[in-house]
Amino acid sequence: MHGYEFHVPGSGLNPKLETRNCDTHMDPVKIIIDGREVATTKGKTVIQAAAGVGIAIPHYCYHPKLTIAGNCRMCLVEIEKMPKLQIACNTPVMEGMAVKTQSPKVLEARRAVMEFLLINHPLDCPICDQAGECWLQDYYMQHDLTGSRFDEKKEHDRKREIFGPYVVFDGERCIKCTRCVRFLQEVTHTDELTVVNRGDHSTIALFPEKILDNPLSVNVVDICPVGALTDRDFRFKVRVWYLKKTPSICPGCSTGCNISVETYQNRIARFKPRINEEVNSHWLCDEGRYCFHSLTEGERLTAPMIRQEGGLVPTDWETAVQAVIAGLGAAAPVAGVLSGRNTNEEAFLFARLMKKISAAGEVFYRERELTEVEKLLKSPDRSPNFRGACDMGAGGGGFDALAGRLIEGEFRSVYIVGEDLVDLPGDGDKIKNALEKLSFLVVQDIRLTPTAKLAHVVLPSTHFGEKEGSYTNRRGRVQKLNPAVVPPLGALHDWEIFSRLLAKTGEKISFANPAEIFAALARAIPAYSEFNYDKLGDHGIQLDTQRHDH
Amino acid sequence: MEKILLRNIDVPDSHTIGVYRSRGGYRGLEKVLREMSPEQLIDEIKASGLRGRGGAGFPTGMKWGFVPKDSPKPKYVVCNADESEPGTFKDRLLIEKDPHAVIEGTLIAAYAIRSHTAFIYIRGEFSFGAQVLARAIDEAAAAGYLGKNVLGSSYDIDLILHRGAGAYICGEETGLLSSLEGGKGWPKVKPPFPATHGLFGCPTVVNNVETLASLPWIIEQGASRYAAIGTEKSKGTKLFSVSGHIEKPGVYEVDMGYPFKQFLQEHCGGVPEGKKLKGVIPGGASMPVLRAEELDGISMDYESFQAAGTLLGSGGVIVMDESTCMVRAAWNIARFFAHESCGQCSPCREGCHWMEKIFRRVEHGDGKEGDLDLILSVSGNIMGNTICPFGDAAAMPAAAFIKKYREEFDQHIREKRCTVTSSTSRVPA
Repeated sequence: MHGYEFHVPGSGLNPKLETRNCDTHMDPVKIIIDGREVATTKGKTVIQAAAGVGIAIPHYCYHPKLTIAGNCRMCLVEIEKMPKLQIACNTPVMEGMAVKTQSPKVLEARRAVMEFLLINHPLDCPICDQAGECWLQDYYMQHDLTGSRFDEKKEHDRKREIFGPYVVFDGERCIKCTRCVRFLQEVTHTDELTVVNRGDHSTIALFPEKILDNPLSVNVVDICPVGALTDRDFRFKVRVWYLKKTPSICPGCSTGCNISVETYQNRIARFKPRINEEVNSHWLCDEGRYCFHSLTEGERLTAPMIRQEGGLVPTDWETAVQAVIAGLGAAAPVAGVLSGRNTNEEAFLFARLMKKISAAGEVFYRERELTEVEKLLKSPDRSPNFRGACDMGAGGGGFDALAGRLIEGEFRSVYIVGEDLVDLPGDGDKIKNALEKLSFLVVQDIRLTPTAKLAHVVLPSTHFGEKEGSYTNRRGRVQKLNPAVVPPLGALHDWEIFSRLLAKTGEKISFANPAEIFAALARAIPAYSEFNYDKLGDHGIQLDTQRHDH
Repeated sequence: MEKILLRNIDVPDSHTIGVYRSRGGYRGLEKVLREMSPEQLIDEIKASGLRGRGGAGFPTGMKWGFVPKDSPKPKYVVCNADESEPGTFKDRLLIEKDPHAVIEGTLIAAYAIRSHTAFIYIRGEFSFGAQVLARAIDEAAAAGYLGKNVLGSSYDIDLILHRGAGAYICGEETGLLSSLEGGKGWPKVKPPFPATHGLFGCPTVVNNVETLASLPWIIEQGASRYAAIGTEKSKGTKLFSVSGHIEKPGVYEVDMGYPFKQFLQEHCGGVPEGKKLKGVIPGGASMPVLRAEELDGISMDYESFQAAGTLLGSGGVIVMDESTCMVRAAWNIARFFAHESCGQCSPCREGCHWMEKIFRRVEHGDGKEGDLDLILSVSGNIMGNTICPFGDAAAMPAAAFIKKYREEFDQHIREKRCTVTSSTSRVPA
C-alpha cells in the first residue's frame, strides 16, 4: 500500500442534478424521433434520448451537468398531440411519444430564436476571441443563414468588465443562457454571478463585493457558448482555428483531469477540459489549467552540462552519461528522487536504475491543505503520477523520510529528476545546505533551476507536453499522455536518459519508444498486466485494485 | 343581477371584521371546517363550475384536485393579489373594501388541499390594500379564524401577507412563486407544475383574489345556486373593470353571459360626448382588441369572447372612441410589455422590445413598407414559444391591433405621421 490516504475528489457532479435523477428509473421507454424508433429509459428528457442515438438537438442553455433553465428556446421540437412546440431539454420521454426535430414549424422556431439572439448582438466576430468556437456562429450557419430584419438601434451593455483574475465579461455578446450563473450556484456553490435587470436590459453581474476568483472559476468560460466570458490568460494570443489539439492528462495534481493540450507554433496556448465522467466530468481547476506556464516556460537546457573549474560547461551526452555513472558509483550511499510528473514508463526504468546502482529511490510527494471548493476536483499533492511511479517500484511513498535522511547528511551522492528541491517551501534551505555538501549531484531537468545550478552534472530532459507515456491517477486510473509539442534539440526524454544510463551500467536495454516500455512493465507488474496503449484509449482504464493492490 | 362579490362593498366599514361577520362572514369557513371533508369541498367547488378569475379561466376545483393527497411535503395556498394587468382594478376593490372575503376564501382553499400555510402575495404598489389586509389578518387571527385549532376544529392555519416589489411578471403564478421564495421574479419552466412542485418545491395552489373571494358565498349558498347563474361553461358572476372612453368607468359585477353591448350602453353609459366607439379590449391589455362592429352578439362569458377571437382574460374592459389613435394604443401596450418582460427567455426578451421599437417608429412617422408584416412575424415567433404566458400576452395585442386596424397603420406609414390625433409629442424610449 502507498503511504498516504486516498482522498477521493468528487467528479464535479451537480448535487441538484443528482436529486433530480433520483426520480429516474431504468424502465425502458420507446419513443419516435423523426420517424426513427429510439430506445431510452424513463426519466430521460427528449434532448437526452436524442443525444443518446446521435441526434443533436441545438441548444444553448441546456448543459448536461447543470439544472434545466429552459430559457434559450433553441431546442424547441414538435411533439405529436401537443399544440405548442416543446423544449426538448425539459420534456420527459413518454412511451410512444413522436418527436419531430426537423418539421417546418421547428425549423422556423429555431431560425426565429437565432434571429432574436442576434438582434442586439454586436456581430463583432472579427475582434471576438470566441470566433471559431462560438455557438452563435455555428448555429447561425446551420439554422438561420438569413439576413437581419432588425433595423433599430441596438441595446448596449457593459464591455470588457473584469469578473475575476482569469475571466472577463462582454455583456453585449451575452445570450443570458445562465450557464455561468448555474455553474457557480450548483457546482462550486460560490454564487458570484446573477442576472440583474429586466427585459433586454437583463445582464449578468457580479454580486456586490464579490469577484469571480474561486478555484474552478474558468469553467464558466468553457461552458459559455458565446463570446461573453473569455479567458484573460488565453484571449488574443491565437485564433482558435490555428490550434492543434492533443488529448492528454493534466499534470497539475494526481486527480488526472482529462485535458486537451492546445498548441500553436510549438507552444502550449491553453488547456481545455475533456469530458471524462470517471475523473473530472466536464471540469478543470484554474490551477491545473494554467500550470503549463510554470511547468514549461523559460529558457530550456539544450545540452548536458558538467561542472569544471569556474562552473557548469556544456558537454556531449556520452561524456555526461559516463560522468554520471562514474560519479554515482564512486560516492555511495546514493539517493534518487524521481518527479511525480514522470510517467509510468520512466518510473519503471528509474526503478531499474536505482536497483542496479544500489541507490535509495523515492518519488517526490508533498501535500497541501485544500478548501472545500478545491476538493471538488483537486488532489492535495502536485504529483500527477505518484501512484503509478510507486506501482513501478520507483518509491514507496517515503519522500519525506528520504528528504530527512538527505538533510541529515546520510548520502554522499544524489540524483534528482525533474524537481527543484531547493525551492521547496519549508525545508528548501535545509535541502540546499545538504546538496551543497554532497560529493556528487546529478540534476535532470528542462531548465537550469536553482537545484540544477548546484549539480556536478546537469542532464536536459523534456516536460509532460513533449512526451508520450502513461499516468496512474490517485484513484488508480491509468491514462495516456500524448506529445503535444516537440522538445528542443539536444534535450532527451527521461526514458531515453535512463536507458542510456542503464546501458552504461551494462544492462541490456533496447526500448525504441514508450509503448515498448509499457509492454515490458505490463509483463513485470501484475496490476498492469492486461493493459496496452491501445486499450488505454483517450479515457484510460481503471486498475483492478481488488485483484492486485495488496 | 345578484351581487355576490360586491355584496359588502357599499356597506360602511365593510373592511372590518365586525361588519363582515354581521353580514354572514366566516360562516363559509365554519361550515367547511365543521361539516365538510376537503374532498367534499373540492367536489362542491367543482359542482359550482367556478373558473379561475386571474385570466386563464381554469376550473378551480380541478386545479385543487391536482394536488397530491399523499405528499409528505408541506402544501401551500397562495392568493395572487398581484393585480397588474393594464385596465384591471377589480381585485384592488375587493382587497380594500372586503378584505375578509379574500381571507376567508384563502382559508377555505387552504383547507381544500390540507394546507396549513397560506400566503397573500400583494402587488407592491398596493400599499393601502396591504395595510387593509394586514389589519384584517390581525382581526381574523384575534377572532380565532387563523392560527392553531381554528374554531375548535383542530385545524391549524397560518396566513402570511407578502408584498411584491413591483413587477408585472410576478402576477404570473410561477413568477410569483419565485418572487415569494426570495428570488428574482422569473417564471419557472413547466413541467413540473405548481400543483406538485410549487413554492419551495412543494405542492402549491395559486388562486386569484376574485376566485377566492367567490368561495364563501358558494359554500354558504351552495354550488347549485352559483351554477344556476351564467352560461353552460361560464358559471356565476364576474367582475369587470371598465375604463377608457366610457361614461361611467368602474368595477361592475355581471352575471356571466350578459350581452356585452348592452352592458356597455346601459350599465356603463356608453361612450361620452356622443363620440363613436372605435374598439374595445375586453380582458386586459394582453387580450386581442375588438372593433366596434364586432361587439354585436357577444355575451360576457369565456366561450363567447373566445368565439369572437379574443379572451375574457381578467375582465379589464378598455373602451376606445373614435379619437383614439390605434397605432399609439398598440405602441403604448407594446411599450408596457417591453418594459415588463422579465428577460429570461430569448423570444420575449428580445421580441417585445423589437416590436415596441417598430411601433414607436410607425407612430412617429418613421414607418416603412414591411414594418407591419415584420411585427406580425415577430409576434408569431414569440407566440407559444416562451416559458410563460407573458410572451403570448405581448404578442396577441400587437398582432390584433395591426390585423383589425391595418388601414390606420398603413396610413401612418404612407403619410409619415400620426393621422388620428393632433398630438405630436414624441415619447422618449
